[in-house]
Amino acid sequence: MTTNQNPISRRTILRSGGMVAATSAFLAACGGANKTVTRIGSADTAEKLPEAPVTDVALVRTAQSVELLVAEILSDSRVTKLADKDSSPVIERFVAAHKAAATSLAPLVAARGGESATEPNAKLMVAFGEPALALLESGKLATDVLSLTLALETLTAATYQYFVQLTNEPALRAEMIRAGAPSSSRAAAVAQIINPGTAGFAPSVNDKGEANVATLPSAFGLLSSITVALGAPNEVGTRATVVMDTPSLNSILY
Amino acid sequence: MEHPLDTPESQATSRRRLITSLLAGGAVVAATPLLAGTARAAGTTDTTVPPNRDASDNAALNAALAREARLVGTYRAAVELANEDDKVALSLILDHHVAYANALKGYLGTQAQAAAETPLMQPSGGFAAMANALSKLENESAKSHADMVAGLKGIDAAALVASIVTVTVRTATALAIAAGASPLAAAGA
Repeated sequence: MTTNQNPISRRTILRSGGMVAATSAFLAACGGANKTVTRIGSADTAEKLPEAPVTDVALVRTAQSVELLVAEILSDSRVTKLADKDSSPVIERFVAAHKAAATSLAPLVAARGGESATEPNAKLMVAFGEPALALLESGKLATDVLSLTLALETLTAATYQYFVQLTNEPALRAEMIRAGAPSSSRAAAVAQIINPGTAGFAPSVNDKGEANVATLPSAFGLLSSITVALGAPNEVGTRATVVMDTPSLNSILY
Repeated sequence: MEHPLDTPESQATSRRRLITSLLAGGAVVAATPLLAGTARAAGTTDTTVPPNRDASDNAALNAALAREARLVGTYRAAVELANEDDKVALSLILDHHVAYANALKGYLGTQAQAAAETPLMQPSGGFAAMANALSKLENESAKSHADMVAGLKGIDAAALVASIVTVTVRTATALAIAAGASPLAAAGA
């Protein structure tokens, strides 16, 4: 009979080897970011992206850029050329109000060591500003001016409302609400111009089953996407829809 | 005959086993600070995030609830005096204030205090006069709610109140227009 006198059996080797492998994997996974994991070949060390926290000052700067964006869009020649006698004074006043709002936010930025935004939000201009203006230009419908204005005022109010929950400092949250209030008010005013009277307060539909503009479309301020139909109807009678969203991580001015 | 590979190991604790166990134990001990470091880093970040809820907000939120309940009472009285489209419009706003009161009650849960629907004013006169008075009440509510947010610690409460203010301001403007103001004047533009 052959007996195994050697204390190092295959089973022991497998068990110990497995333990070492598992421990190595565990340590590699728990290691710091600077530990180099064994790899095949070589590559340049990846440069870590800078930290970009959504700070209070970044939010105020972004709010400024949204105000300037709305002013930029509403003062664009593609809008002003289409504006009629009803909408022309509206957009003129609103442009001034948005520019003034951006300026009034400057002390909040400076107090937090930041630099005021002086340009419209570039990401949002690409995302929905330019598409909306292109549709206005191609459609040449005067009614689009007020539709676009309503959407932009609603978006601005929603932006401030959204920023309240991202803001750390309670006093600044209150400032955000106060800054958003004029846009809420202007949105209601435009809605009343489009669909006047108390009949226009509540959501309703017209004879074709299309939604009418409502001055008070919901009980609570919504943060969902804002859609606005712009431009001329296509061959089947539908219009292009522009979707507007409040600023997110890719459009915040850090 | 017993197969050699099936032979159970006679030694319960060999030196190699001891060394293996020590290595494994050492690995766990060595890894603990690494894991603790990760947890500490996450904890450090969390301390900068405001709380979602804070019990110290309850008093202010109960004050907001009291205000909303009184607005409910005010609109109940106003709806009785209005006709047709005006009645529908005021009923809509009444529903909104009922929703605000319910939302605040829901947020406060067992900490919600009883809120009487005592009207803030007794609506009277024609619809325009009534709408004008109600518009002022809405503006006052929006202002008091916004001022209150400056003292709220919890993010959830601030977000809830912000969503109320957004529509309260719209309501104030809509009622001002219904009272006879021009849209631009009502919007302060």
